[in-house]
This record gives sequence, structure tokens and C-alpha cells, in this order.
Amino acid sequence: MLISAAILFLQTGCWSKDEIEDLSIYIGMALDIGEQSKVEKELEKQGAGYARKKTMTFTIQIINELKGGKGEKTPAAEQKAYINVSETGDSIFEMIREFSTRMERPVIGHHLKVIVVNEKLARRKRMDQLLDFFLRDNDIRPSAVVFISKSKASHTLETQSSTVVPAFRLLGITDNQYRSLKIMSPVTLAKLEGKMHAGMSYVLQNVVSAKGEVAFSGAAVIKGSSQKLIGFLNEKELVGLMLLSGQGKGGQIKAYHEERGEVISYEIKKLESKINAIVKNGKVTFEVEIETTGRVMEEWTPSELEINEAFTKQTEAAVKEEIEKLVLSTLAKLQDKYKTDVAGFGQRLRIQHPKVWEPMKKDWDEEFSQIPVTIHIKSKITEYGATSRR
Amino acid sequence: MYGSLSSNLQKVRAITARHSDVNIREFSIAGSSVGAAIIYADGLADKDMIDQHILKVLMNDVGEETITCSILTNKVLTVSQITITHEIEEIIRKVLTGQTALLVDGMSEMLIIGTMLSKSRSIEEPISEALVRGPRTGFNETLSDNTALLRRHGENASLSMIAMKVGKRASKDLIIAYMEDIADSDIVEEVKRRVSKIDIDNLPESGYVEQLIEDNFLSPFPQVQSTERPDRVIAALMEGRVAILLDGTPFALIVPVTFSMLLQSPEDYYERWMSGSLLRVLRFAAALISLLTPSLYISFISFHPGLIPTKLAVSIMATRVGVPFSSLVEALIMEIAIEILREAGLRLPKPIGPAMGIVGGLIIGEAAVQAGIVSPILVIVVAVTAISSFTIPQYSVGIALRMLRFIAMFCAAAFGLYGVILFFLMLCVHVVKLKSFGVPYASPAVPYRLNDWKDFILRMPLTMMKRRPKMLKTKDKVRKG
Amino acid sequence: MAYQAKDRITSIQTAVILANTMLGAGILTLPRTVAEKTGTPDGWISVIIGGFLAIAAGLIMVMLSKPFRGKTFYEYIGQITGKWLGSLISLIVVGYFCLIASFEIRVLAEVADFFLLEGTPSWAIIMVFMWVSLYLVTGGINAIARLFEIILPITIFVFVIVTFFGITLFDVDNLRPVLGQGVMPVLNGVKTTAITFTGFEAILIIIAFMHRPEKASKAVIVGTSIPLMIYIITVVMVIGSLSVDGVVTRTWPTLDLVRSVEIEGLIFERFESFLLVIWIMQIYSTFTMTYYAASLGLSQMSKRNLNGFLYGLLPVVFLMANIPKNLAGVFRMGDFIGNLSLYLFGAMPLLLLAISKLRGHKGEGISRK
Repeated sequence: MLISAAILFLQTGCWSKDEIEDLSIYIGMALDIGEQSKVEKELEKQGAGYARKKTMTFTIQIINELKGGKGEKTPAAEQKAYINVSETGDSIFEMIREFSTRMERPVIGHHLKVIVVNEKLARRKRMDQLLDFFLRDNDIRPSAVVFISKSKASHTLETQSSTVVPAFRLLGITDNQYRSLKIMSPVTLAKLEGKMHAGMSYVLQNVVSAKGEVAFSGAAVIKGSSQKLIGFLNEKELVGLMLLSGQGKGGQIKAYHEERGEVISYEIKKLESKINAIVKNGKVTFEVEIETTGRVMEEWTPSELEINEAFTKQTEAAVKEEIEKLVLSTLAKLQDKYKTDVAGFGQRLRIQHPKVWEPMKKDWDEEFSQIPVTIHIKSKITEYGATSRR
Repeated sequence: MYGSLSSNLQKVRAITARHSDVNIREFSIAGSSVGAAIIYADGLADKDMIDQHILKVLMNDVGEETITCSILTNKVLTVSQITITHEIEEIIRKVLTGQTALLVDGMSEMLIIGTMLSKSRSIEEPISEALVRGPRTGFNETLSDNTALLRRHGENASLSMIAMKVGKRASKDLIIAYMEDIADSDIVEEVKRRVSKIDIDNLPESGYVEQLIEDNFLSPFPQVQSTERPDRVIAALMEGRVAILLDGTPFALIVPVTFSMLLQSPEDYYERWMSGSLLRVLRFAAALISLLTPSLYISFISFHPGLIPTKLAVSIMATRVGVPFSSLVEALIMEIAIEILREAGLRLPKPIGPAMGIVGGLIIGEAAVQAGIVSPILVIVVAVTAISSFTIPQYSVGIALRMLRFIAMFCAAAFGLYGVILFFLMLCVHVVKLKSFGVPYASPAVPYRLNDWKDFILRMPLTMMKRRPKMLKTKDKVRKG
Repeated sequence: MAYQAKDRITSIQTAVILANTMLGAGILTLPRTVAEKTGTPDGWISVIIGGFLAIAAGLIMVMLSKPFRGKTFYEYIGQITGKWLGSLISLIVVGYFCLIASFEIRVLAEVADFFLLEGTPSWAIIMVFMWVSLYLVTGGINAIARLFEIILPITIFVFVIVTFFGITLFDVDNLRPVLGQGVMPVLNGVKTTAITFTGFEAILIIIAFMHRPEKASKAVIVGTSIPLMIYIITVVMVIGSLSVDGVVTRTWPTLDLVRSVEIEGLIFERFESFLLVIWIMQIYSTFTMTYYAASLGLSQMSKRNLNGFLYGLLPVVFLMANIPKNLAGVFRMGDFIGNLSLYLFGAMPLLLLAISKLRGHKGEGISRK
């Protein structure tokens, strides 16, 4: 018994064991249309290669562990905190396993945090196909966040700095959601799974990059029925969408004073948006009530203007008007141009009138574009910050 | 048996030829000039007493012409304890315990006079169980002193002490103490039965008794609690437990033991209930930490890199780059090193011990990291484990946990987290199956007894602890004023 | 004789054993199986109905056992149906318990292989597990009861914490509308949810060990309520976070919920290890109890020592666990067990109860004389 236990123990040593330092953890992944890197081309010239269609290039970002700790021991200060490697092919899984032939430490996906998909690829390929591997894999967690990039996706995972890890940077920016309406709440694989399976349309944050810097810029619209990218919302339209769907956690709205045309910057402290589906005589209409409360943090109006009821009313009206403009332009784009519902109108209809929803569900995006939407906005100003005039 | 002194002495001499410490002093009794001799053991018998109460009275003060046994015991010898015997062998046996034999020519009876010199250590604070607050008394090596300490605790007629003899060759006194009107008589009888069954020639320490009466010798957990503190024994007796005291050792044994007792300290009761509870929670946490940390380290490092936070994983990877060993070997090296250090610190003279522990730990840890043999994270893990294991008030439990820790490490190395879970289950199963003198070892945790939980992980205010632990099936259920 | 029930357990312990036996493999898959059947977010209502059905079935079994104080199902079934039919039913019940036991370890092996120990052969995973279980069952019902009493609070505590962290993903819209498609979808799901409560039939066996069998009904109600609560919370949290459409495609939706949450700043950013820990413990308890019930059945039918069967049945269960060829087969096995349990412990006790009443077995007359 004891001997068998001992043998078992010796045997098991090589079953599932893989010391952490013998692995490479990748934290970010970028999917581009097929374009081989220099290294790859060189390797292929030497004879490396296998049967594949070169439809996708994907880049994974591996943490450079030598850079991580042991401060005084690191020899190369200029060394970057990450390593990006690329591979081209038509199966993500195959490409990942291909790295086993190129690196001494196999890559593991437990810590994958961000997935960036290039716009062109998203227009050509279905999202559910592109993401199928990630949802199936037992290492990759559904908490990974998905982005779309108008630029080359692998560029969003690059930086000039030696301390920044680009994948963490992208993730970190999503945390700033409470400061800007231009940042969506991160769309994780877990949330996508339901939407993709239900054939719902959705938006994904768009990331652009230049010279190792990145910026969140609007959002990409993915149509539910085709699972393909059909267009973008620019930054303003994204703000409108955030206001419309009530997703925003807070942020800033810039309005202009009615008479003077001076800047008034309004900080939203609380945003509430309620979509009501109304069914009358078999006809569906939507009513949206948006309510914001906040404070004025910056205003350039001349100081002779007194802050009183009237001024507050005026300012509130200005803010309201600005919000209305934002929301309407977004709505127009969604209903007229893209003919997709990404603001959750369908959800409300499903919840409030499940019987009406059921027959419309199949072709919802089309139906939605025909449904009239009325919008009511209330903006309240509670204070004017630390400056008090007169 | 005839009364000739010289022939008797001859016999005694024949036997005591092997006993160099046995002295024979011949003299003649005043008045009658009858020859007599005393036999005593050097160092064991109280020479002052022999001089004052035996030799002086016999050689100076005796007026009677005829000496008989009853005259000696009734009129002459001013000693409290005298027994009469006719056996030479018994004389020798008694002499070797410190008593003095008196042989008188022509008298068939021989007197054995109680002159034992009790050289006992004074009552000091116990070293192995130091407390911040609590009585500064500890048991010593003399049984009568120890029983007196228990008696002195308070007037209590129900404190029963049953004396027994143990040891086939070197026979020793052993006392079973319990509260007559509290302790469950089944438990008392069981203790008596097991003690009477002890079949061994010699018992140098109560640890022998412990090992001979415990329920399961294969278990890593102590099923008998040993303590040097009379207050602890009294508290246990008052709960309905039974104490066993052995002559010649300051360590008393308490049975039955339950798992929760092992992590309790008398101080929990002396401090106010909040701090007492908090310390107890801390100790439970420390026990878990010292048991599982290294195995969890191994399983996460070697099996589940996906289950640790990303940033932690990155920094661990960075520190482990270049470490040539697998996490198990690495952890074993450091754990064994620290165990050796601890053992060495224990054996060294007191002033050097702790210093050497610290220095050794620091230097070895630092050097091992510098040399790239182990990773700094592991040094932290090992240090935390070691420190946690020192918070456990009972030495024997600490050892048990340390042993189990190594088993847990092997389980982790074979099956990762799954192995650790199975190890934990195995341990729970073992504890659940274990009994100490009929009382489930896992109580009061299971079976659920809400009343007993008041004194488990938390120590509730004394006013709320009105009842004695139910698990001990006490005769008197209520702690009266 | 060794096969007779000597040990006694309290009514709390009975409830705990029942709860632990019911909680098992289902907790990881229930949200999916329910959502598949209902197609609406109303699965949690199905769970409640299923739970009440389980309680009702449990109570019927208690009534059935009442006239036979201190006897297990195997011992008194013969008195109701006659010896031969009784033995046949007992054999089927034994087979059923073996089936559950092997199903549980097989699911354990699958999950362990997928999430914890990729590459470790499943026989090794199963074997060590069975050893640890064997160590427990040799301790008898008392040891089992006490261990379960340790496991259950840990399970509830960890479960509450883990689901509490999942609340960041929770969106009540995913659970609305309530009964939007009417009651039919809910009723469709009831069978599935009732099946996840399999394990309540353990009352047929453990009632014989109870100190005070008259409290058995209470124990059944309490014992079923605990898994009922846990299942409701699971379904509500998982469907509420991942939405019905997101759940139906996931193999292990509950694990996915926990894996979708990351909370930075805590020592543990990831919580699936905790969920897996309590889940493995629950599998362990279900396996141990059903295994014990099966061995006890054989021992009581043959009037031989229990220990022999405890050792002898291990390879059988091991082989049975290896029958399904793939994961789909495992789930089919689960469905089969569920259906079997519906007939065996949903319908049959009613029938037996009727026969028993007709034959005039009256309350507690037998052992009290």
C-alpha cells in the first residue's frame, strides 16, 4: 500500500505539474487581418510553416518577467515590460499552439485580460466565430474585455515606455468610466456570450493608437443578425448612447450659454435613464426619460451675471439642450443609418410587454428602426462648486 | 524470623553489598544496653530527623529496662510514621525510598520509620506555558506538593484523589483527580481502568502514561492534554474532566481532550471576553495558516497559475526565474531548514538559543534568496508558517500541525489544489472518527451543540457561560456561583 | 450483528446529511439545464416548485417509514411487498445509489480535468477520492454525520461570499419579465429542477438511525430547504448575471459566473478556487452518503458484515463511472438517474404507502411492542 502510494506520488510528479516560471502568461491579444511579421516571413523562408490560410494575424502580449521584480538585478533598463509575438493563420488555437514550437515556455491564457479586434477583420468575420476559441478554452476566463480598433490592433498593444504594460493600460482606462461618458463599461466575454447567442446587436469600445499611445474613441456597432461590424459611433454619439441607455456612471457635458455663447461645463453626478415601451393598438412606441443631476464646474460667462434662479434655469436649459442634441443624433444614427438597437430598447419591450416582443424578436433591429421614440430630459444643477459669486 | 541482631545485619549486609548508599549504624540503647542498629540510605533519609528523633532518644533518654516493640512505638520514638515488619526484603525496599529501619537485638519486629527527606524544587512559574496574566505557580516534581497545589485552590470536599501504583519494577505513585459531583463516572471509571492496565516496568514521565492510555496511537493529534499549570487543571476539573498526576514530573495530564481545547489558553478566560475571543480566532486562523500555507503555495505555483491574481502571478514569476528547483523541493528545503533551526534553538543554552534562531533564519533565508536557490516569496511563506505555528499554546499540537503540514505539501505536489482539498477532508474525517475517552474529539464543533459553542472559537462573556460543556455529560450541568 | 443500525444521530444531523446529499454535481450545471428547459428567466420559480415537490416526496417517505421504527428501507420493504419483490426493489435501489455515486465521481473527474488538473488521468483523480471516502464510511453513520456537519457550514459560508462577489455582474433585467411567457415554461423546468434534488431519498435509510424518528418530517423540511435556498441563489445569480441566452451555451455556467468576476486589491482576485473547493466537498458528501447507502443495502439484504461490501463495491462504482464515453454521455447518465429517481422515489413510495396502509402497518407498533 505504502509502496504503491510512493510510486503513485513519483508518477504524478509529471502529470499536471507546470511550474509558474516555466510558463509564459499572455495578458493581451490582438487580432488583425493576415499580414505576416518580418520574423515570421524569415522563419518561413527557412522552411517553417504549415498548411493554413493566412487570414488572420494575431499578436499576444507576454509579460516579460525579467522586468518584473528584483530591482537592482535587471541588467537592461531599456528593456520593455512586455514581449509581443505574432503568428499568422486561420485558427486561433492552432496559432497559439504554434508558439510552443517557437518559445521555450508555453503560453497560457489564464491571465488574458484584453482582446482587441481590428476593424477590418470584424467587418469580414463574424464576431462569434472570432471569439469562439476564447469562450471554449478552459484557461481563458470570461472576464476578458473585448475592444475594437480602427487602427492595426497590434499597435494598441505597443508602447514606447519601458514601464507601461499596454494591456494593463487598456484595462486601466476602462476604470475611468466614472470620469467620462466616452468610456463604456467594459464588455467582457461573459456579457458578450449572451448577446451573441441571442442575436442581439451591441457596441464595443473603439481604441485607436498612434506611436505607442492609445485613446478610446467612440464605439463600434456590431449587428446582431450578421455578427459583423457595420459602423462606428463617434465620441459624441457614444456619449449620447451612454446617456440614452443610462450606462454612464458620470462625466462631463459641455454646453454653451444661450445668449452669450460662453462655455459652461457641467459635471454629471447622477444619471438616470428610463426607457418605457408603450403598446397602443398593437403599435409600439418608446418613451425615454433622462434625468441628470450635477454641478457646474466651469463657466466662462462674464461675472456681472448673477447666479440666481433665472441663471440656473438658463444653464439647466442649456445643458438639457446639449444632452438632447447628443441623444437625438445618436438615435438618428442608430435608427436610420445602422438600423440596430444597441441601447436596450428591445430589452425593455421584452420585460414590459413579453407577448408583443415575442413575434418581433426575430427581426428586432429592423422593427426598431421604424418605432417612434420620444425623449424627455431633465437636468438639474445642484451647485456651482467652490466658487461663489456675490 | 529470630531476633538476633547480628544475624539480621548480616543478611542486610549481604543484600546491601550492592547498595553503596545504604548505611548501617550500630549502637546500644541507653538504660538496657541492648544492641540496636538503624539502616538508612544516604541522601534519601533526613539525617536531622534520625539524629533528633531516633538516635538521640534511644541513646540518651530511654529509661525502660526491657525494650519491646510497643514501648518503642508508644513511648520512645517521637516520629509520626512507623510501620512494623518482619521481612528483611521489605526493609531494604523501604530504606531505598528514604525510610529508616530500626533493628533491635532480640526483638522479632523491625520498625520502619518514616524519615523521607523531601527535597523538592520550589514552586516556580512554568516555563513551557508562559502567560502574561495568570497565577505564577506551576507544578513541581513532588506529587504531594502537586496535590497540595490543587487542594489549596479552594475549599472543596468533592475534589477526589484516587492513588494508584504504576510501573512494574520502579513502582510510582499516580493520582487520578476529579470532582466527585461533577465528572461523569463513566469517564472516571474508564480512566481508572486504563491506568490500571498500564503494563510497563518504568514510567519516567507522564508522557509514558499519556501514550499508554490514549485512544489511537496512530493519530497525529494528542488525545491527552499535558500541563504544568494548576489553574488549568482546576479549570478542567471544574468542567468535569479528569486529571492524572504522576510522581516525579511536573506535567499533569487532562482527559478527555477535544480538538478545540488544543487551541485554548487559560489566558482566554483571564482576559476580558472580547480580547479573549479575538485571540482565540487569531489562533484558529494561525493554525490553519501554519497547516495549509506551504501546500497552497505549491499548488498555486505548480498547478494553478490561473488562480492567482495576475499581478501577483507576474511578481512571483519574476522572483522565481532562475530558481532551479520545483516548488515542492524548494519549499521542502526551506521548511526543513527552519525546523532544524527551531530544534537547534531549543537544544542550545537558553541565552544563545533565540539569538541563534533569529540569526540563522535571517542569514539562511537571505543567503538562499541571494544564491537563487529559493524565491523570496517562499521565504515569506515559510516565515509566516513558522510564526503562525508558534502561536499555538500547546507544544504537542504545534508539532502535530508541523508534521501534517509536510503531508499536505506532498498532497499538493501530487494533485495541486485538489490534493489539498482531499488532504483537508482526510484530516476532518480523521478528527471526526477520533475519540478521547468516549468523547468525540471534534466536539464541540460537531455534533452541533449550541451551548458548547459559547466556549469554542469565541469565548463568550462569563455571565453567559452558565452551563458546563454538554459533551462531557457532567452530573452537575450548571456552573454555580 | 454488524449490519444492524446501532449508531444514533440527532435530527439536526439528519437534516444536515439530507442537505449534503442533495447538494452535488447539479450546482454547477443547474442554471443551464433549467434555462434550456424553460427558455425564460423564470427558472428560479421552477426551482422553488421542484424543491417543494422534493419536500413532499420526502415527507411521503417519512410516512412510509413510520411504522417501522429503527429499520431501514431495505429491512422493511419485504414486509410491505413480500420477500421476493422486496429484494428486487432493494436491489434496484442499491443499483440506483451506486449509479449516483459513480455519476458524482465522474462529473468530479470531468471538472477536475477541465479546470484543475489537466493531464492527470481520471483514474488517479477518482481513486484517491474514493480512498478518502472509504476512510469515512468505515466510521459509520456517526462519523459521516459529523463530517457533514463540518462541511455544510463551510459550504454555505463560502458559497454566500462567492455569490456576493458575483453581484457586480448582476443585472435584474436579465431576470425580468417574471412569468412573461406564462406558467408553461416554468412547468417545463420543474422536472429538471426536481431531479437536482435527488438525494432526499437518503431519508429512507437514515431515518432508521434517528434518535427520535418522529422528528423526521422536520428534518426533511429543513434538510431540503438548505439546498433549495442555495439552488435558488445559484439560478438567480447566474441567470441574472449571464442572461438566459448566455447561460444555455455554457457547460458549467456557475463556474463561468465566478470566473467572470475579478476583484482587484484583495489577496484573492479570483474566486473559482473557492467555489471548486466547496463543490468538491459537496461531491464528496453526496458520493459518501450514496455509497454508504448502497453498501448498507447489500449488507442488510445479505445479513453480512458491512465492511466487506464497503471494500467490494468500490471497483464496481469505479467501473460504472467509466461507462459514459464523453461529457454528453455523462449528462445523459445524469438525466437517466433523474428519471429513475422520479419513478423510484416519486411514484413508488406512494404506492408502497397505499399497500402498507392496506396491510395495516400501524404507527410505531413494532418496536415498542
